[in-house]
Amino acid sequence: MSIEEAFALAEAEAKLEQALADNKTRFDNAVLPNRYNEDWRFGRPNKFAMALAETLQRNANCHGGASVQHAGDSAVPVALAANDDLRQTEMLMPTIGSDALLGLHLKRFGNGYALYIEEDTKEPIRLTYKTSGLYTPSTFIMVAPGVKAHVIEQYCGTGACTMFATRNIQVAEGAELMVELNADVDAGSYMVITNIQNMGGKVKHLTELRGEWVREETIAEIYTPDADVQLYSANRLAGNQVLDQHTRQIHHAGGSSSNLLYKNVVDDNATAIFAGNIYVAPAAHHTDAYQSNRNMLLSDKATIHSLPGLEILADKVRCSHGSASAPMDDEQLFYLCARGIPKHEAQLLVADGFLADATDKFRGNIQTT
Amino acid sequence: MSLIIKDLYARVKDGAQILNGVSLEIPKGQVHAVMGPNGSGKSTLSKVLCGHPDYEVISGTAELDGQDLFSMSVDERSRAGLFLAFQYPVEVPGVSNANFMRAALQARLPKGEELDAVSFYKTMRSTMSKLGMDTKFTARAVNEGFSGGEKKRNDVLQMMMLEPTYAILDETDSGLDVDALRIVSDGVNAMRAPFRSFMIITHYKRLLDYIRPDVVHVLYKGKIVRTAGYELVEQIEQNGFDFLKTEE
Repeated sequence: MSIEEAFALAEAEAKLEQALADNKTRFDNAVLPNRYNEDWRFGRPNKFAMALAETLQRNANCHGGASVQHAGDSAVPVALAANDDLRQTEMLMPTIGSDALLGLHLKRFGNGYALYIEEDTKEPIRLTYKTSGLYTPSTFIMVAPGVKAHVIEQYCGTGACTMFATRNIQVAEGAELMVELNADVDAGSYMVITNIQNMGGKVKHLTELRGEWVREETIAEIYTPDADVQLYSANRLAGNQVLDQHTRQIHHAGGSSSNLLYKNVVDDNATAIFAGNIYVAPAAHHTDAYQSNRNMLLSDKATIHSLPGLEILADKVRCSHGSASAPMDDEQLFYLCARGIPKHEAQLLVADGFLADATDKFRGNIQTT
Repeated sequence: MSLIIKDLYARVKDGAQILNGVSLEIPKGQVHAVMGPNGSGKSTLSKVLCGHPDYEVISGTAELDGQDLFSMSVDERSRAGLFLAFQYPVEVPGVSNANFMRAALQARLPKGEELDAVSFYKTMRSTMSKLGMDTKFTARAVNEGFSGGEKKRNDVLQMMMLEPTYAILDETDSGLDVDALRIVSDGVNAMRAPFRSFMIITHYKRLLDYIRPDVVHVLYKGKIVRTAGYELVEQIEQNGFDFLKTEE
């Protein structure tokens, strides 16, 4: 090792040490989520926060495995377990009321992927994370200028597992990214903090989430005119499941656009929470942004909390938001049954059709809304 | 073998009584037209027979080939051979026409038996072609964004695919242009058979000129008040329903 290399390594180690110390401070100074925090008001945070904190405080090992599948011809650089790089990118990550949890995550996380996508992907790149215990993986996706990419992330958990993921997504000018997150943690808990930074490209983002307790925080920051972000989510809840979704569409630049459509089918005693916000910075005139949360209730005991929001500091914008929660349409159900389809099957068809609105829009061609 | 309705009284759930003792028999192989002024209970009769949850039977019976219709669920009535072409076909977002038809046909097969995909699509496309429908409609969500006429054609497509033994057409002619009316009527006429019967609810003679009924009934204030042959259609066309008031 040359003297230069030795210095570089020592500098990197010092940075990492500082990062860990900063994260400890971040954790020490922040309050663990509780119901008195507005961002956690309906989300029943105790179960997840306490389990994660206790396990990590005991320095328990993270249990999980990750794999990547890339069938395309292009050579996509993939850095598995590039922990130091990932830690550096996560230092600046904003959260929606989860600073303490992110501090814990950064103190000790599992592994993850850093994808630098420099060529079009012919087939989707598939990232898979699996666990039956505690797992805190991280993902960093960066798409180079003008490149078209499709990434599918799958988070699979079995039993009463706990998975806490962070994701950093950066899209350069002229790039197009379709990214879908599919999480199924069975009887366990799942939390994901996603930070999308759009520097002039088009992003389509879909989440499909299932678990006993699930929280999604997605923050999309749009920095240039003509940049576009489309956020979709389609979920089916049953039993006592809780799905707590928080989003921010942040427009720093005028002439940019964003669209959000989050849909849930909620059965039994399940609870779905949506709290979204469109923020338009003072100089971001001619922003075009929309946000819609739609819920179908299949049970009298199902609960919906829907809190769409706008915070507009510019004058000339086109922004709107909407929310609707209603039972399944009896006329639609009757129409299907009147063709001989048994009631239970007809309910599944109508519910799938309701969610397909979001998934179909995601899978269509990337267009500016 | 017939559809036999006896002394049927029915009302809107927790609301007004609409049917006041309807009695009617439609033997297999026949086409019966049911006419009557607005609000006389024609659509209610069709919905009660199919089991719409907004209506409840107060008394009376309906038998489909000897089976008690009112003891069956909505889907069972359909699988037993009853079909309703709706006055206002419902939009079902996100459910494609093909998936909808596949589920309806699959439900008619014995447990464990799977619908053959190739012959299903072949049949669906050829039936659509007979009705002058673009085959792109197979992938479109059921009735979503369809014009009034397209919705009616779609209902007739479903009828032709499901091949019921008793079909009720509730104002299928409303919203259809002249060409579409002829195409749809041709489709219905092609289905006429000794093992199948139709109840056609309409306000207009023009549909019955295409689909010539064997028997014509007039429903008024929830009761069949007159039954005759095709000449009754011509009488109504010329003089309206004024004769009902003079008979009161």
